[in-house]
Amino acid sequence: MAEKKAHKELTNKITAEPRNTFGKGVARKLRAAGKVPAVVYGHGTEPRHLSLPAHDVSLLLRKANAILDLQIEGESQLALVKDVQKDPLRQIIEHIDLIVVRKGERVEVDVAVHLEGEPVSGTVADQDAKSLLVETLAISIPENIVVSVEGLEAGTHIYAKDITLPEGAVLITDPETLVIAISVPAEQDLGEAPEVEAPAAEAEAAAE
Amino acid sequence: MLIPRRVKHRKQHHPGRSGQATGGTTVTFGEYGIQAITPAYVTNRQIEAARIAMTRHIKRGGKVWINIYPDRPLTKKPAETRMGSGKGSPEWWIANVKPGRVLFELAGVSDVVAREALTRAIHKLPLKARIIKREEGDA
Repeated sequence: MAEKKAHKELTNKITAEPRNTFGKGVARKLRAAGKVPAVVYGHGTEPRHLSLPAHDVSLLLRKANAILDLQIEGESQLALVKDVQKDPLRQIIEHIDLIVVRKGERVEVDVAVHLEGEPVSGTVADQDAKSLLVETLAISIPENIVVSVEGLEAGTHIYAKDITLPEGAVLITDPETLVIAISVPAEQDLGEAPEVEAPAAEAEAAAE
Repeated sequence: MLIPRRVKHRKQHHPGRSGQATGGTTVTFGEYGIQAITPAYVTNRQIEAARIAMTRHIKRGGKVWINIYPDRPLTKKPAETRMGSGKGSPEWWIANVKPGRVLFELAGVSDVVAREALTRAIHKLPLKARIIKREEGDA
């Protein structure tokens, strides 16, 4: 069962139904029925309006830059997620924009930068750029770019050009973009000064 | 404490409380954030108290962002005065927070420390809030 589930997560096949009705009323009915309205376009094709199964799509979209293998009326279509509209409070997907991609095509995508390790004691790694724009094959988009900050000292700067990209990826972001800066954290104002909050803050400290 | 240096009008109408936040609803700068679930007027004192609670818990290391600014004055009439004679004098500076708005962000500390620090900050705020984590797709 677990094997079957894992297999389902690996394949990005999604059965899409063409949609001919539009408007907020129709979209709300679709969402109530467990579906998500979507549109797919690109490569000079006419935009196609679709409805996708909400649960399956939300699982696939946990990964950034997901490629979906849409099954539209029996035909297969690869599509890259371009934009996702989410309700900030209910955290549900309201609408998805998909862009048509072909096998072997190169696409420009934002890939998240993840830090690994700890810089020397007493310093912090300040991440200025959370993602880098790279050009890569559509079918092999890297999940993230891992940068090690292990043992780096204060004053070290890591620029986009210094980062080793996954195989096949080409940097599009300006190579001089600062990604990580190692610095000694500035002294934080902890509110010891006789301000209005001081009595409450002291009471809290005493309670600890 | 956060106070505007100069304002065009000393006294304003009360800001509208209906609706949801239309911007600032995702974690943009840090790794973790506090997202409002209910609307509230958050005063500059409450913002400062929340910031102190957070920074005291994370001690050294880590970085805190405050995403809201108390730029709206609220007035109050003195106690035991008769109605009339114009609007009261400015008493508080508040940020009008609507549901969905991310108020604070935090980065550079472990998951456990970040959640505890943000929980302490939430206790200083006059609203219901939750802790959210940055998502892969967010800018």
